[in-house]
Parts: sequence; structure tokens; C-alpha cells
Amino acid sequence: MISFHIRKGFRLNISGEPSHNIEELKKPDRVALLPDKIPFVKPRLKVQVGDAVNVGTPLFEDKRNPDVIFLSPGGGKITQINFGARRVIEEIVIALDPEEVYEDFPTISLSEIENIDKTALIQAIMKGGLWPLFRELPFRDIANPDVPPPSIIATLDSREPFQPLPEVYLKNKIDAFEFGIKILQKLSETVFISTASDDAFTLKELKRYLTHVCKGVYPANDPGVLNFHIKKTPEENRAWYIDGQDVLRLADLFKSGRYPIEKTLVLGGSLVKERKHILTRAGVPLRHLTRGRVKNITGRYIVGGVFTGHTGSEESYMGFYEKSLVLISEGDKKEFFGFARPGFNKPSRSRAFLSFFNRSDFPMDCNCHGEERACINCGSCAEVCPVDILPQLTYKCILADEIEEALAHGMLDCVECGLCSYVCPSKIELSDVLKNTKKAYYLEQI
Amino acid sequence: MIKLLKNFFDANRKHFAEGGRLEKIHPLFEAIETLFFIPGHVTQKHPHLRDSLDLKRLMSTVILALLPPLFFGIYNTGYQARLASGLPLSFTPVFLKGLWIVLPVILVSYAVGLFWEVLFASVRKHYISEGFLVTGLLFPLTLPPTIPLWQVAVGISFGVVFGKEIFGGTGRNFLNPALTGRAFLFFAYPMNMTGERVWTVINGAKPAAVDALSGATPLAVSAVSGAFNLVESSLTEAGYTASKLFFGTYPGSIGGTSTLMCLIGAAILLCAGIASYRIMLGGVLGMLAAAYPGYLLSMFSGSSSVPMLSLPPFYHLTMGGFAFGIIYMATDPVSAPGMNTAKWIYGFAIGVLTVLIRVFNPAFPEGIMLAILFMNLFSPLLDHFEIQARLKNRVPNV
Repeated sequence: MISFHIRKGFRLNISGEPSHNIEELKKPDRVALLPDKIPFVKPRLKVQVGDAVNVGTPLFEDKRNPDVIFLSPGGGKITQINFGARRVIEEIVIALDPEEVYEDFPTISLSEIENIDKTALIQAIMKGGLWPLFRELPFRDIANPDVPPPSIIATLDSREPFQPLPEVYLKNKIDAFEFGIKILQKLSETVFISTASDDAFTLKELKRYLTHVCKGVYPANDPGVLNFHIKKTPEENRAWYIDGQDVLRLADLFKSGRYPIEKTLVLGGSLVKERKHILTRAGVPLRHLTRGRVKNITGRYIVGGVFTGHTGSEESYMGFYEKSLVLISEGDKKEFFGFARPGFNKPSRSRAFLSFFNRSDFPMDCNCHGEERACINCGSCAEVCPVDILPQLTYKCILADEIEEALAHGMLDCVECGLCSYVCPSKIELSDVLKNTKKAYYLEQI
Repeated sequence: MIKLLKNFFDANRKHFAEGGRLEKIHPLFEAIETLFFIPGHVTQKHPHLRDSLDLKRLMSTVILALLPPLFFGIYNTGYQARLASGLPLSFTPVFLKGLWIVLPVILVSYAVGLFWEVLFASVRKHYISEGFLVTGLLFPLTLPPTIPLWQVAVGISFGVVFGKEIFGGTGRNFLNPALTGRAFLFFAYPMNMTGERVWTVINGAKPAAVDALSGATPLAVSAVSGAFNLVESSLTEAGYTASKLFFGTYPGSIGGTSTLMCLIGAAILLCAGIASYRIMLGGVLGMLAAAYPGYLLSMFSGSSSVPMLSLPPFYHLTMGGFAFGIIYMATDPVSAPGMNTAKWIYGFAIGVLTVLIRVFNPAFPEGIMLAILFMNLFSPLLDHFEIQARLKNRVPNV
């Protein structure tokens, strides 16, 4: 077990933290799969509106590799397939039957795992619809099964505010997790499992499996950050990673022989009355999560975390990867003489407000707190960047179209944590520019 | 009141919006409106949250840190003027006199500078940067109180246009705009920027009082005084005791005389985390490193052809606006290096150069101004080397 300390990053003192309690939700009336929210995938539909599907029926495949299929998270009838601009498939909605039928998948026991052929295992995971859970650094696309990875990183908690805690989702499931680890070890000889140095639960329960203990604030335990600090050679850049909770789903698939749809989500944010963990299923409507649990104020629905998530609405659904729903105020109000106020209630990483003396949690909103200005080279972004990029310079390289220089600056090491944009006093969309450039660079390559 | 203002802006916005009568000066409207109201813009892209700190807050913190030298400068200007004129020195008239002298200088600096800012922002269709609020105040504080107002206007114009805007505006200038303006005045109108008569405003005074006044600045006194060990005593003779130099109650540039006030400003800047302590400390270290060898050497040899070499280093720190320069001017993030080691080197070199210019080049006693401008030119190079060294340590990822 290697301990290391990641000094950069930022702990956001945002209020609205969910409790460790978990509530099991009743079955929703419909669920959905959102191809649009799965990065890089090129979906080819295998169903149409009106089709009856079971839990685990393929809904679409990835045109780039038709073996990568996405299965239905519910059994019932396909009621809607919603397209967005340029016929992007946004939602495939399934109205659930009262009694759902499950597709059968072969079960594999722990002893069989030891002896199974690696290709057969990959095939089994693909057939089971869980291959997309493996993603490849640095672009975070679905892992390419044909190229063996230098390592697989299982992350338990990236420390982004309001994500499911290992303590909750791993409770009583350590066996399943161990089973999942076995699967990972079969896929790659090097499996890294890292936890936070102050997470007593995982330090105790997963002691045998932990390879790294990481001290640091958000995004210290992000797979990209971890890989950045582990890697010694360029070959190690293309590591695969999988979320801790998804390791459980892998194990579940082989143990039960069913497509696993159970998910532990988190409902948090200052607009939520009942902030807690929620045990429910994949692709639930957001309304189903919020019903009766939120304050009667309109705010922003953030699916997947305040730094990395996307904006949803009451009408949308949980995505394939996302595991949290955060509700905070929009904050679209003007503030009189805002810049000259002492700022007791203005949380900031800087020390320019009197809130510096009050490091308790603040309710935050989505206001930009200022307008975009030219970069003045203050260097705040470089102070928080967990992978030692100089975001201000990388950004300028990108604007000048010097892509080689941006790459030399470590653009691909960017973990898209969003901290550079968060701290920028000039309100420059650094993280967004880096993310989009990475994406464009990747799309040019394939 | 707030509602009234809000309605006023809402009612007039249409004139400045696209197609409105005053569309061309939209940046001015925007600047004034955002001065009163932080806009209600919300995040459109990830991340969903943004820090409360914006450039307005950052720059107004710098202004806050500039207030101690500003108010002391106003007081001191009035004090020196009334002292030289042989008038009573109670606080209120002294301060009012100072205000009478200083306020027009600041107003002209802001008005003319703002004109250029609005012009460039309107043509380029971008917003007016808050950085000007600092430049427009820094510049007058470095001037002698007797400066003619038209020269203030010329100086700030040069500073803003040639120090900043022709390179693309805020964030793209490699020289400190305020110092660029001052350097321009310094070389273009030396009669009004140097010498013995410019540092005190004298009007309506008895000629006797004027003659009795020693107008030489501490730097000038040290540069021309005689043999070793005489520098300190000739400074004292001229009325510049160490404590006087530290507190700043002597004639000089409007804001630059008081080391104490600059230190208070430095405390504000450093507590708020706005300015770099690396540059400030580096500057002090550099100054001491350059001043001590000469001091020690002349102490042992007993004499020196360059009398100022034997000046105790402490005096260097308090004279000639060094504190003002290293605290407010050298730490301008745009023209200073961005990398940490480069900041140390930059600050250190400014300190060393300041002493060297003062000691070996009595023609330009303004060591700190030239040192900062000179090092401004080197900061991209310093950054470049540190960045290259840093990039070498990365595992390539392409």
C-alpha cells in the first residue's frame, strides 16, 4: 500500500451535504437510457417505439464497435425515443411493466473466474452490457478491448461534493466487491485501488486490496489524478478506470445472471430537504428522486456533481454513469455593490473576502460572480490544478492554435475537474476550453 | 434607491444595446452598470459553480491597499506645502491643502485614462478592464506634486496607449502601464520630474522661506555627499533622519515617500493573497545583497570614489520610493513573471538593479522605476526557462 499526498486541489465548502442514511425507493413508472450523455458513443438503435423489452434487452450498439451494446435498464414498452439537434438520440424511455422480465445471462462463479479465458471474460462483460463501465484515460472514452491496458484503476470516491460514499454503497457488499476485483485482475495484471486517507471504512474493510492511500482534497482520488501521480512512462497513460460502485455491478452480473440495475445515488444540495443516499435503479426519472424531498423553490438540477455534471431538469433522467443529483439555486440575481461588500457570506478560495474567517459550509449558487475579463496571469488556476498543468498557458497555447505546445504542457493529463474555471477571477472557461480541445484532438485521431 | 438605480439602468440599456443610439460606447455603460451591480449571469458550462472572487474584487482590494499611501500622500503634500510657505500646520488645513493639490492630479489621470480605455474598448468591442482603476491611481501617486496637469494627461495617455493598449490591452502588456507613463514623463519633461524644486508645492510664500528650504531628495543628497561615512551624516544634516525617511514626512512623490504606509498596504495585499510575497521579499533581499558589499567594502577601505556605496543598506530600503515600487508596481501580475522561482529572481534582480542604478548612475536617481521596467522586459524570458524546466519533468502524454 503506497501512501501519497496530493497537495493541489480544492475542498469546496458547499452546504447541503447528504447524510449517510439510505432510503430505498419504490419502483418508478418509467426509466430511460441517455445515449447523448455517454461520451463519444455513436449509437445505432436496435429498437423502436412500441417495442416490448426485457431488463437486459439491447437498446443500441456503438457503431464504432458493435460488440459494445447498451442494455435496457427496465422491462416494459418503449414509449419514446427523443431526438435532439442533428438527430442526436437524447432519451430512450421505457414504461415499466408491473412484473418485469429479466434476460438471462450466464452466471460465472468465483472459481470459474480464476480459470476463464480473458477474451471469453471480455465477451461475457460485453454481452452483459457492462463493458462501457470501463473507460480509458486520458479521453475517458469507452475502453478499447483490443489493446490491453497498462493498468486498471478502481476509484472509490473522487471527493467531488455529494457523491455516493463507499461506506454506504459497499456496506454488506464487500464480498461482491472482492468478486469484482477478481474480474479486474483477470483483465489486467495491474489493478490499482485507491482510497482517501481519512476514509476509515474502506481502510479497514478493503485493506487487503488497497494499493494506494491518497491524502488530499477534490479531485485527489480521481483516476486521472491517480494515474498522473503513479505513471513513470508514457505507456502508462492509457490506463482504464472503473467506478467502485460499477465494480459491484460487474460482480452482480456474473453472480445473479441478470443485468444489474440497482444503483446507489445521492441527493444533495441546499435546495433539498431530505439529503441522503438513495437506493434505486439505473435511469430513474429525476422527478422520482426529488418527489417530496426538495424545497419548493426552482433551482438548477445538476446531474453528476457540481464540478463535472451536466444540467438536467425535472423531466430528465439519471444517466448511465452519473450517480448524484444536486439541486442548488440558480442565483440569477443582480447584486448591488457586490464587489465592495465585506463578503461574510461569500465563499472563496481567495482571502479577499471576510468569509475567510468562516470556513463553515455555505449555500452556493450558479452565479458567475463577475464577468469574463482578460487573463491577468494571476496563476490561481495553476495553484489548484491537481495534475500540475499551467492551465492559463495551456489555454493560451490552444487559443494560438499551438496544439503541440498545449500537448507538451500536459493538456491530455487534464482530468476535467473544473477547478481552474472555478477559481479564475477573470471568469475564463478554462476547463471547458481544455475539455473541448481534448475532445477535438481525440476525434481527429480516430 | 437600489430599485431606482436598477430601473435607471434597465430603462437606458436599450440605447446602448445593439442598434441603439449609443451602441458604440456600450463598454462604458457596461462598466458603470457592473460597478453598481454584479450581473446575474449564471454558469453555462461545467463547472456549475464559480468562486466569488472576480477581477473587480481583486482590483478593489489593490485600491484598498493603496489607500494608506494615498491618504498619507495627500496629508504630506499639504504638510510640505504649508511648511515651505511658513503657514500653520494643524491637520485640517494641511489635509485640505493636500487635497487641493493631489485631487486634480488623480482626477485628470482617471478621466484621461478612462477616455482611452473607453475608446479602445469601444473599437475593439470588449469590456473595460478593472485593471485601469489601479493604473489610474498608481500613476499619480508616483508623480511630484508640482506636476502640471497637462503633463499628467500626457503621461497617463502614453502609459495606457503605448504601455498597454497597442499590445492588445489588459493581460497582454509586458510593461507596467503606470510606470511606462511615468518613465515617459521622466525622460520627456525632466524639468518637471527631477531636481530640487519639484517636490514641494510653493505658492504665496515669503521668498526667505523658500530659500531656506532644502529641496534635494534623499537620493540626491546621498549621491553628491563627500567621503565615506559622510553620507549618513549629510542625510541627517539635510533633515533626512532614518525615522523621517521611514515615516515619510519629507518632500517627494505624492504617494511614494512613506515606507510605513506602503508596508501597511503590503500587509493588506499579502493578507488578501493578491500580490506575490516572492517578488516583494526577493526585492528586499536583492537590495540588501547589492547594498551590503559596497557598504562593508567602503567601511574597511575607509574611502570610496562612489560615496553612495557607503550608505547603510537600511536607507536604501526607505528612500526613493523603493517600497512603493516593489510593493505596488513590481507585483503587477501581468508584467511580472508567473512562475514561482522566476518571481524570486525577478524581485531579487529589481532590488539589485535599483541599488546599482542609484549608486553608479547619479544622473538617474530613480533606480526603482528603471529597474522594474527593465525586469519587466525579462519576465517572459524568466518564465520561459522555468516552464521549460518544468515541462521536462512531465511524463509525455500525446
